[in-house]
Amino acid sequence: MIFCLVYYLVLQLPLSLLKTAQGHPMLVELKNGETYNGHLVNCDTWMNIHLREVICTSKDGDRFWRMPECYIRGNTIKYLRVPDEVIDKVQEEKSRSDRRPPGVGRGRGRGREDSSKAKGIGRSMDDGAAKSTGGGRGRGGNRAGGGRGR
Amino acid sequence: MGAQTRFKSSVQSGRKETVLDLAKFVDKGVQVKLTGGRQVTGTLKGYDQLLNLVLDEATEFLRDPEDPLKTTDQTRRLGLIVCRGTAVMLVSPTEGTDEIANPFVQPDGA
Repeated sequence: MIFCLVYYLVLQLPLSLLKTAQGHPMLVELKNGETYNGHLVNCDTWMNIHLREVICTSKDGDRFWRMPECYIRGNTIKYLRVPDEVIDKVQEEKSRSDRRPPGVGRGRGRGREDSSKAKGIGRSMDDGAAKSTGGGRGRGGNRAGGGRGR
Repeated sequence: MGAQTRFKSSVQSGRKETVLDLAKFVDKGVQVKLTGGRQVTGTLKGYDQLLNLVLDEATEFLRDPEDPLKTTDQTRRLGLIVCRGTAVMLVSPTEGTDEIANPFVQPDGA
């Protein structure tokens, strides 16, 4: 149960979201006002990021540069815009870890068969899969309904 | 020669920890933006895990004195320099970096 809570919190953290956003397109605005649009390749715990296929826009927004890749130091970042599907992806991962709390690192779920709290561990995989596809459909409906509303 | 081997060893000590492996940029042209707005290009000769960089034949792009945000075509030759990692804001390869026309479609009546 505690693991459940920990996972819930961890997956809501900004850097976890960023980690999940790897491979997705995103916009990065630096403190100096320049913006960088590109696909996230990698990031670390300092929010240093590596982008690929980047378009740089000057602060005033009237000069543009294309660059194949770039490294941006985390402490110069003002904010990042990530696509909506990344949130969905985080929630998907969250629901998956909710179904099988001790899944990663802390020993596999099988080891806890004596625990009375862990109900139906044998079935939990199939169960989880069914749930997550259900969630997927629900999301699709939401997206069609209008997305972010900007 | 001695300097070159030293550069090589600093390249090898570059850690995997960094998000971007700078090894592939060694002896290639890189563009570096520094905190405060200076912009430098040069040939990357060495680096470390703190992102301190050694640039050879470095050139600084001078900025418009009235509008320090804008870089001009004027340059200043710096020669061999060490960029302090904490001041490095952005690193990108010179090759393939070009100024382009607005790639974003203007939303009509948005």
